[in-house]
Amino acid sequence: MDSVFVPLLLGCAVALASALGVVLARRPIYAAIFLLLHSLSLAALFALLSAPMVAVGQVLIYSGAIVVLFLFVVTLLPSGGRELQLSGSRVVAACVAAGGVLVALAASIAGGAVPPAVSLADLGVAAVGQALFGPLLVAFELTAPLLLVAIVGAVVIWRRHEPHVRTAERPVREAEPRKLVMHR
Amino acid sequence: MTAETLVLSTAIGLFGVGAAGALLHRHPVAMLMAVEVMLNAANLLIVLGARVRGGAAAEAAALIVLVLAAAEAVIGLALALALFRRKPVPDVDEAAELRG
Repeated sequence: MDSVFVPLLLGCAVALASALGVVLARRPIYAAIFLLLHSLSLAALFALLSAPMVAVGQVLIYSGAIVVLFLFVVTLLPSGGRELQLSGSRVVAACVAAGGVLVALAASIAGGAVPPAVSLADLGVAAVGQALFGPLLVAFELTAPLLLVAIVGAVVIWRRHEPHVRTAERPVREAEPRKLVMHR
Repeated sequence: MTAETLVLSTAIGLFGVGAAGALLHRHPVAMLMAVEVMLNAANLLIVLGARVRGGAAAEAAALIVLVLAAAEAVIGLALALALFRRKPVPDVDEAAELRG
């Protein structure tokens, strides 16, 4: 795997930098663009790790569907995505989380190397498909009702918070009898 | 540093960046994007595991995680838009209806 070390290094650098851009961008539209770059760099990493099917899925599902969904929502935001001032406790919590993960990173590097990759003769699309329709068949089939429930749930959440719920029955006002005014 | 260690440390670093961002932001959409970064880091680790162990099932699991991420984004964005209906500049701390 050392033949792809330099492209991997490049992809990892782009992925980390764009992730920092997602987190640190002040406007959500820039964060969404950085998320697009992040997902594309991860697709490149998957391709370099000889997982071409996951790379294609990443481009199709992530860059094509999820990031575009984020872009739609950001452009629909009423305030243009303004954010309240960050509080100090949030900055402290974020620094603690990042520090903890840095400790985990150092421990994982110092603790021992990852075993080298095995030969990749049988990791093609056919093998992935056989795994998907063999041992993982139940999980694969369950993604269909999951997506259906997600769609229905999104609609329900949207309708429930509507200011004027259209489904509630309106009180039917009795038509007042018109007063007859006689003009002389 | 071998290539595997490089990818492992990138995945851990991405997870840390995403966790820090999810804790940092008060904007629901920005928070969701940080969660997506964390999901991507986990997926990268799964693919690295598939590469190291040579298991095709792990790659298939990574594909299923992609679909899960799509469902999570749909529900999360619907919740974020529901928050926006209530206030033009929302704060995720104020959404506490489920508190017991």
